[in-house]
Amino acid sequence: MRHLVTRIMLSFCLITVLYWSGHQPAAAQDTGAEDIVVIANRDVSITQLDRDSLRAIFAMRQRTWPDGQAVHVFVLPNDADVHAAFAKERLAVFPHQLQLAWDRMVFSGTGQAPHRIRTQQEMLEAIASTAGSIGYIAREYLDERVQVITRE
Amino acid sequence: MNASKSSPGNRLAGRSLALACLAGTPPALADSTMLDTLQVHGFLSQAYIVTDENNFFGTSSDGNGSWDFTELGLNASIRPTENLLVAAQVLSRRAGEGDDGDPRLDYGVVDWQMVNQQDRTIGAQFGRFKNPFGFYNQTRDVAFTRPSILLPQSIYFDRTRSLALAADGASVYYEERLDNGLLRTQFGVGRAQVDDDVEYAIGLDSFPGGFEADTSAIGQIRYEHDGGRMVFALSTASVHADYDSPGQVPGDGELAFQPWILSAQYNAEYWSLTAEYALRDVELRGFDAFADEQNRGESWYVQYTRRFLDDWQWMVRYDSLVNDRDDRDGSKYEASGRGPAHSQFADDLTVGLQWQPHPNLMFAGEYHHVDGTGWLPAEDNPDPDDASRRWDMWLFQMSLRF
Repeated sequence: MRHLVTRIMLSFCLITVLYWSGHQPAAAQDTGAEDIVVIANRDVSITQLDRDSLRAIFAMRQRTWPDGQAVHVFVLPNDADVHAAFAKERLAVFPHQLQLAWDRMVFSGTGQAPHRIRTQQEMLEAIASTAGSIGYIAREYLDERVQVITRE
Repeated sequence: MNASKSSPGNRLAGRSLALACLAGTPPALADSTMLDTLQVHGFLSQAYIVTDENNFFGTSSDGNGSWDFTELGLNASIRPTENLLVAAQVLSRRAGEGDDGDPRLDYGVVDWQMVNQQDRTIGAQFGRFKNPFGFYNQTRDVAFTRPSILLPQSIYFDRTRSLALAADGASVYYEERLDNGLLRTQFGVGRAQVDDDVEYAIGLDSFPGGFEADTSAIGQIRYEHDGGRMVFALSTASVHADYDSPGQVPGDGELAFQPWILSAQYNAEYWSLTAEYALRDVELRGFDAFADEQNRGESWYVQYTRRFLDDWQWMVRYDSLVNDRDDRDGSKYEASGRGPAHSQFADDLTVGLQWQPHPNLMFAGEYHHVDGTGWLPAEDNPDPDDASRRWDMWLFQMSLRF
């Protein structure tokens, strides 16, 4: 039994190290709240969300848009400046609280984790190509393939 | 939301849709099939425990310490339709003599969100659902969601954990988004899990009979203010189990357990202050071998956690347990010849440190200075008279998740 446990643990370590070595922090920039835009796929019919609804969606507590379409949430890494600024300024929560909320959903059968995206360029591609998706980027990355969700 | 009809974004979206139709092709969207929503996650923790007196999760006091605390979990979830979530987790937990690591279904639910509006969500879970009990119960076996290696034992006993874990039945939840606040109510009815740990705790482990869970209810009201800066919760449950005795001794009987937990937390950017207070009514009735028994236990803790240097956190906590409020120091219990007084209480001062060098890897260490053996696992310490009242414990743990 102990050998099996040891072997499983070593495998876990290996996977973690491999995953780690492929992990690159997102491009760090100094981004203020005003420069961050919430974006959605163009098929989403909602164009405005208040902070509480935005929070419910990004905390993964609400699984559909108000019109019933499934929401697909995309986020940047926890240590990305744009993520921290988005969490603090747009959601008014700290990144560690958001992470804890996701962990509690994922490991209690009450929800799913958001999709992780490494860079803002990938974020833009993912939002443009996924129906019902929502994410956020620095305004300078914005283009016409996605729509902006404004504050209510 | 009326304003949205005329917003530029919507007009733009409409125009792009019109353009796409003119071009004769649907918008280039990835087909989001059901399989795309499949997620698999897991965790693994291994601890090393050393005590100077008494055993906690294995032979921790024999000088070599104990490696007998391993938590391994694997879960999968999928969204077959917009408002359905199907999720299940298998847990293997090895914890000294009390838990042998046999994999078991931790939860398995179909979650249906029937109402989803801007300011409210209403849903229901069917199957084996995790009990919303205090702040930590639903993910109590996942190290990454715990502030310390051991949760405060006065409320989250590992000694009789099966009762609180999960229930087989149905639960409804209602979430209302208020002005800068969130109100979440959950109520469930189902069959609790009653394992051998309950018999051990009550002292019926030497008899051939066993408990069978009866219908139980659990409810929680939780309010989160300002994105979780302040969180308050009130949880209660009414858990019932029937004892089936094949022989005359101790005879058939009933166990009723009704806890109330009041929880409060303040979260700042770099620190959190958490406190929970619980009253626990335990009743044993109908047994032939002893008179009906009823007592009220009291538990509380206060905990301060501080984050520093991005991926470090330290914590300090004072945790207190009294099995019977009418016999706080256990003297009546001892006088009645049932066991040592110190088995009726426990005061635990804990300091701990966590380091998360990577989001999926965590190292933790902590020290407990304990007065009392109220939550000492009975399975690891068969004779309560051999236990020492004052004891110290060190724990170290490595945890992984994906």
